[in-house]
Amino acid sequence: MSGTWITTRAWLLMLPLLVVMISVIGWPLIDTVRLSFTDAKLVGTEGTFVGLANYAKVLGGSNFQRALVTTTWFAVVSVTAEMVIGVLAALLLNQQFRGRTALRALMILPWALPTVVNATLWRLIYNPEYGALNAALTQIGLIDSYRSWLGEPGSALTALIVADCWKNFPLVALIALAALQAVPRDITAASLVDGAGPFNRFRYVIMPYLAGPLLVALVLRTIEAFKVFDLVWVMTRGGPANSTRTLSILVYQEAFSFQRAGSGASLALIVTLLVTVLAVAYAALVRKAAGAT
Amino acid sequence: MSALEIRNIHKRYGEVETLKGIDIALESGEFLVLLGSSGCGKSTLLNIIAGLAEPSGGDIRIGTRSIVGVHPKDRDIAMVFQSYALYPNMSVARNIGFGLEMRKVPAPEREKAVSETAKLLQIENLLQRKPSQLSGGQRQRVAIGRALVRNPQVFLFDEPLSNLDAKLRMEMRTELKRLHQLLKTTVVYVTHDQIEAMTLATRIAVMRDGRIEQLGTPEEIYDRPTTLYVAGFVGSPPMNIFDADVAEGGLRVGDGNAPIAIPARFHGKVSNGQQVKVGIRPEALRLSTDEANAPRLTARVEVVELTGPELVVTARIGGERITACLPPRTQLAIDAERTFAFDEGALHLFDPETGRSLLAS
Repeated sequence: MSGTWITTRAWLLMLPLLVVMISVIGWPLIDTVRLSFTDAKLVGTEGTFVGLANYAKVLGGSNFQRALVTTTWFAVVSVTAEMVIGVLAALLLNQQFRGRTALRALMILPWALPTVVNATLWRLIYNPEYGALNAALTQIGLIDSYRSWLGEPGSALTALIVADCWKNFPLVALIALAALQAVPRDITAASLVDGAGPFNRFRYVIMPYLAGPLLVALVLRTIEAFKVFDLVWVMTRGGPANSTRTLSILVYQEAFSFQRAGSGASLALIVTLLVTVLAVAYAALVRKAAGAT
Repeated sequence: MSALEIRNIHKRYGEVETLKGIDIALESGEFLVLLGSSGCGKSTLLNIIAGLAEPSGGDIRIGTRSIVGVHPKDRDIAMVFQSYALYPNMSVARNIGFGLEMRKVPAPEREKAVSETAKLLQIENLLQRKPSQLSGGQRQRVAIGRALVRNPQVFLFDEPLSNLDAKLRMEMRTELKRLHQLLKTTVVYVTHDQIEAMTLATRIAVMRDGRIEQLGTPEEIYDRPTTLYVAGFVGSPPMNIFDADVAEGGLRVGDGNAPIAIPARFHGKVSNGQQVKVGIRPEALRLSTDEANAPRLTARVEVVELTGPELVVTARIGGERITACLPPRTQLAIDAERTFAFDEGALHLFDPETGRSLLAS
């Protein structure tokens, strides 16, 4: 039967990809699950089966709970700020003015930089001895003496959030700008004639066009922010006093610094599960948004 | 006092001047159609009246008040767009009432106005739907409703029927005419469709290259076009226009045709040896049945097209082609020489240099 033949051929064509996926994603995942039930060390011992002990230890421990709070705070604050700044920037860049194209190109720059470069850049800006932020704030009289922004538990996480916003608001702005350009000119003209002021125009006329694309940006950015590792690692390595230790940093420390492969694996799986929940919520929201239009 | 007065409006975009001095005064209740091909400046003029573009010079008055520089919402105008421009996230009722909502009209009053407008447009059963659940014709009715509900001084229509199919366009045209007769509102209506212009307008402004070529009632535009452009633009099929020489016995057209006597109204406007452009509408031509006195043209039949209500005949006179609209059952052989007669009142003469009617100059 031709149906069977087509099905066979489809599987044959997919086979190379399946082999790659199983070997680089499937197998490591399964092995991580196996590891999470053992007390294996990174090197040396194979480890013995310990059941759910790793999970109990991780979920009951204060490290995990604190990292979860830190990560959630980081994700919520930075993503909210990115959405607000991104939309405002898009509204601005959607206006007619001289130099708009240049400014649009310039805006993408932070997002185009590798995260490590961005992190290094901000570490220099925050530097307690010669950082630009200290210089600027002392010169305008907001602080009396130079401070160690990344060295104080009270300010380190906020400093990281600012760096993350600077890098990622252009993505939101770009998505919002594309959505704004899709708003029909006649619709905005009609709302002008109808007497809608800037705020009502944004709320009733423009926002419906922005909502779908912004939802995608929101969920993608939340997932990304929840997994944040490189920015934190380069800037603070989770310190000072673990004040910036996010879940990914915790996983890394557990598995590689403390070489506890078993509990590291169980932590990694918990993080994976949390991100999966976000991803599923994302898919559901997008489906709902697509159905609504 | 005019309901709407447009005084010497200019619009420049950098080096390009799209409007070169437009003057129109509209009485209350008039239906003005701005007619012209794309790029003639008609939509720019409408946008300037609406306040969606600012003029580079000139003044616009509604009543006694200049509205140049006034925000669109404060001009007391309403506009219907070619794309309907309905808010996709709002119900039909909210779409219609949005202008009132923005003007803080209390909800009960607003609902009453919306339901009255919906009744007038026969869309009461659609009020809870979203625009995406409506057909093109229904959307257009909602767009018109959104303009009507505010009861403004001037209505602006930007090619409102051009996105509809032919049958629906005719229905909506009649509907617009009915509404205008009922409400007696002042309307400025942009279109490139001369049938819409002829049927709807109380006055037509034929525009070309940022200027008004002719401003007049539909009858004036059709019967007495002042330029070759207007003569060729209004009418379907377009007016026959061909070269002729003024000679002793009348107008000489092509070979083998007897000269056409020059009607008395052109006496003193033409002189012997002068070159002119002759215009005769296709529907003014008829097959001659030995009418010795009527002016005539003899031509060789080339193509015969039956449209249903009439027979469109294309025939050749020397190097020129003419079109005639004849009764549908007329028997005509291809390649036969036939004589077409017309009344002398149907003859138009234009200066080939300036394109102006010899009667107008």
